[in-house]
Parts: sequence; structure tokens; C-alpha cells
Amino acid sequence: MRKSLPQRIALNTVGVVGAILFGFPTYWLITTAFKTPGEVLSPRYDLIPLSITFENFTSALSKPGFTTFLTNSLIVTLGAVVTALIAGVLAAVPLARMKFRGRKGFLFLVLVAQLAPIEALLIPLYLLMRDAGLLNQLPSLLLVYMALTLPFTCWMLYGFVNGIPIELEEAAMIDGCGRWGAFRRVTLPLLGPALVATSVFSFITAWNEFLFALVLMRDQDMQTIPVWLATFRTAFAVDWGGIMAASVIYAVPALIFFLIVQRKLVSGLTAGAVKG
Amino acid sequence: MTSTKDVAAMPAGTTPPASPRVPTPRARRRKGFSDAVLPYLLLAPGVIAIGALLIWPTFQLVLISFRQLDLRELVTGQLVWVGIDNYTEVLGDPEFWQITVRTLVFMAAVVAATLLIALGVALLMKQLNPIVRMLLQVALVVAWATPAVATTTIFQWIFDQQYGILNKTLDLLGFEGFIGHSWFGDGPSTLTVIGLLITWQAVPFVAFSLYAGLIGVPREQYEAAGIDGAGPFQTFRAVSWPAIQPILTIVTFLSVIWDFRVFTQVWAVRQGGPDGESTTLPVYMYLKGIAGSHFGTAGAIAMIMLLVLVILLARYIQLLLRSKEVELK
Repeated sequence: MRKSLPQRIALNTVGVVGAILFGFPTYWLITTAFKTPGEVLSPRYDLIPLSITFENFTSALSKPGFTTFLTNSLIVTLGAVVTALIAGVLAAVPLARMKFRGRKGFLFLVLVAQLAPIEALLIPLYLLMRDAGLLNQLPSLLLVYMALTLPFTCWMLYGFVNGIPIELEEAAMIDGCGRWGAFRRVTLPLLGPALVATSVFSFITAWNEFLFALVLMRDQDMQTIPVWLATFRTAFAVDWGGIMAASVIYAVPALIFFLIVQRKLVSGLTAGAVKG
Repeated sequence: MTSTKDVAAMPAGTTPPASPRVPTPRARRRKGFSDAVLPYLLLAPGVIAIGALLIWPTFQLVLISFRQLDLRELVTGQLVWVGIDNYTEVLGDPEFWQITVRTLVFMAAVVAATLLIALGVALLMKQLNPIVRMLLQVALVVAWATPAVATTTIFQWIFDQQYGILNKTLDLLGFEGFIGHSWFGDGPSTLTVIGLLITWQAVPFVAFSLYAGLIGVPREQYEAAGIDGAGPFQTFRAVSWPAIQPILTIVTFLSVIWDFRVFTQVWAVRQGGPDGESTTLPVYMYLKGIAGSHFGTAGAIAMIMLLVLVILLARYIQLLLRSKEVELK
């Protein structure tokens, strides 16, 4: 169906307006971060910044504890990603390659756990960590984030291992590899991109998590960066430039990782689309 | 190829023994061991983690919801069973019902807005010229990727009373008196801003999913519809709709589940204020349990939330399992 020229112009105009509407908040975040405090708090109408300064970034970085919060976030996030990935690979291989009792049951459990609202477990997990003496300790958050990302990791990796033809491993075994050798030399390298995609997704989930970070890390020194950003806005008073700079520093890793796996994410999450 | 098939018929052992018909006793024992125990050994870390951190707490949650568990019981370690008292207390509290209705209305509004905008965006993307389409897709991906807490700081800045760009723009457009207007002065207005920012982040995923369904439709079907004289609306109903309807069902369920339990944005904007007017159920649970130390009551609230979601989820998993892609083979 060809559209007439005016129709196409109208549609493309709507497209551009849509792009501006969706792009604006992030644009505004970045430009505010580079404005001087005087410019930020001026009544002037300033959609396009006139000058660029790194003042806000230095002020954000020099806020007491900023680097500690950043390190806390990195430790719990990377720790959760690595542990979930190891447990996920270990689980995905037998799920996809072996026949054993309880296989279906475990897959069903993983599918349910992936959708279950972990928010509902806030109270018992808080009490569990309290009894274990892990409140205000990074391992508690690391464990919760691992549990949060593990079902998804298992499910994704199971799908990927399933997608690798078993004949490849069998060929390697004919050529004299053991089962472990065949896995290490054939399946694992082929699984590479899937491991990247899965761990990036876990990274984003854990990096963004807020509720458990807020509840399990009551001690101010042990906070993660999103909790600090949200609760310590007062530390900035009306320093919007500073908040925006801190938000930019916080958002950049997630943004970069997100762009890497963006395409896989759409197909991965809708892989279960119901047919008919 | 035949050799591969032969091996496939064989039980996958370690190295294929030289003469499969007469395995040495040792090889047989090893094979038996690995086939019987190896899968469970490999699954163990995952099972232990899920068991200890998801299943055990779920079990605990059920128990906690039937206990009186305030600071005193927490310190003394006393087990005080109160039966369904927590539930009657929560369900008898008018505040709970007010918050539940608010949460459901909020969720419905955000889901509806997300789906409508995303459907529009997906249909639009199909019609755009490649450059404009890419521009729109980049904007959507960036909106999607920005972390939730960063998003709340941006929206609060955009909606700032004095120097926010929104009030400045409204003033510039001739709406007098918006400079100094507070968007966070009352509950409905605060929730509208929160809803806007959730919608802004939720639209890209839904739009991309629907768009993926739309571009899966062969061009011939549209041509055939055109030849048969179908108008744009008829074409949408007869050609596009069947392609996106299953995806729409899935994303509707996912949106309902996600928007019902949203905590981060609601909390980060105004902590459920002003005067608790933007408190939703997850925030209510947090305030009762963690802030107020009434863990038993909060457990009952969590159970009620969980029940609502389980009802929603059951139907969703049923749909998932019926689909071709997800087969628990």
C-alpha cells in the first residue's frame, strides 16, 4: 500500500515528534549534567546548553562515599552475575542434554520463579538475612541478586544449549573427546554469545535493583548507588546539576550494556509468545 | 552421517568404549554413576540457591503471616501464633482498601496507556522512512535502558516547581501561573507523574515486541488485502491484528504483573507521600513491615498481593505452556 506524499510527510513528522518525546528526558539528563550550577538554576529558557562544564561531575565524585557506593554496587552486581552464570551453565547442560527424573519439574519451577514477584519475599528474606547476621553485609545483597537472576539465567541458557545440535558434541566424542572435553571444546565456545547476553541482562537487573538494596543495607556506608541517589537527594540540596551528573555516572554502564544486547532482549523476552 | 546416528542411539557415556558390546565392569559402573548422579550434581547449586532463597522464604512468608511478629517478638524470639488475625486486621482496615483500589486503578491506567502508545508506535514504525525509524528506535532504546532510579531523578527535575523545564515551557506557551506550580502537591498529581515515567520506560519493550510481530507478516498479505479493496482499518483487523494479538496477550500479562508490583519509582519520587496519598500496595507493605516493624501484618499484605498475582500468573503460564516455543520436553 503506497501512501501519498502528504500522508508520508505527516507520518514521518509524527515519528520525529515521538522520537523527541522519548529521547527528551535522557537528553535533558545529560545536558543538565554539563551545565554550570548558575545555568541550571536560572529562569532563562535553555533547551540547548550554551557552554559545557565538568564541574557537576567533580562535585558528584567528591560527595562523601560516592566511590564506596559505586564499589558496593559493582561488588554485589558482578558477584551475582558470576555466581548465577556458573550455577546457570551447570544446570542448563543436564536440562538440555540428559534425561533424568525431576527434569520437567525443575524447568517448571524455573519458569514460575522467573515470573514470581520477589518483592513479596521482602519480609522473610529480610528476617532470614537478619538471623544469618548478614544485614548490612554485601553478601546478603549478592545472594538475593543471584536468586533474582538465576531463574532467568537457567531458562535462557537452557534454551541456548538446546539450540546447539547435539551431533557436534557427538562428533567430538567420536574424535576421542570425553564428555567434559566435548563440552569444553565444542559447546562452551558456541555458548559464548549466549553467556554474554545472559550476564548482561543479569547485570542490568542487579544494577537497577532498589527495594532489597534499600532494606538490607540500612547502614549508610553499605548502600548501593541507586539507593544513595534516591534517598540522598537531600545531600545535594537543590544541586540538580550534581544529581544529574551522578545519575549519568550511574546510568552509563547500564546504557552501554543494554545497547550490546538490545536485539536479543526483545526476542528473548517474547520467545514465549503464544501462537493462536 | 550414519556414524553420527549410531552414536546418537548409544547412551551418551564418557568416551565411547572400544567394544560397546562387552564393556568392562569398571566402565559400566562409571557410566551408570555418571548417568544417574551427574545431572543432580550439576543441578545442585541452582536447586540449593532457588530452594534457600526463593522457596524457603515463600514457606516462611506463609508462616509469618499467621504470627504476631513485631519488634518485641523479634528480639525475644517468641513464636506467637495469632491465626488469621493479621488477615482480618489488614482486610478490616479502610486504608488497605483505599490503597488497593488506588493500586489497581494506577496499574490499569499505566497498562492501558503503555499498550495504546506502544501499539501506535509499532504501527507507526512500519510506515516511517528508514532514517526517521532509526531515530525513533534509538530514542526508544535509550528510554528503555535508563535505570529506573535515574529516570525518577530526571522526571523530578523536569517537573521541578521553580526551575523545571515543564513549568518554563507551559509559561512560555502562555499558560500563566505555572511557574511555582507543584506537581507533587497532592496524590493524584504525584501518581500521574509516576505513571508517566513508568509508561515512558515501559513503552519501548512493548512497542518493539509488537513491531517484531508486525514485520513478520508477509508483504503479500497486505497486497492481497489491498487488491480485495480493504481499507486501512480492515487491513489492520484482518492482517495485522492476527499477527500481533498473541504478542499483545503476553505483553499485557507481563505489564500487569510488572506494574502491580512496582516499588522503586513510587518510593523514589515521594516515598508514597504527600500524606501517604501516592502509597501503593508494595509501598504499604514496606511501610508496615520494614519501617513500622509489624512483620506479621506485612506478611499478610504480601500474601494477599501474592494471591492476586498468582491468579494472574496461572493464566499466563497456562498460555505460555500451550504455546509451541515453550515446551518442557
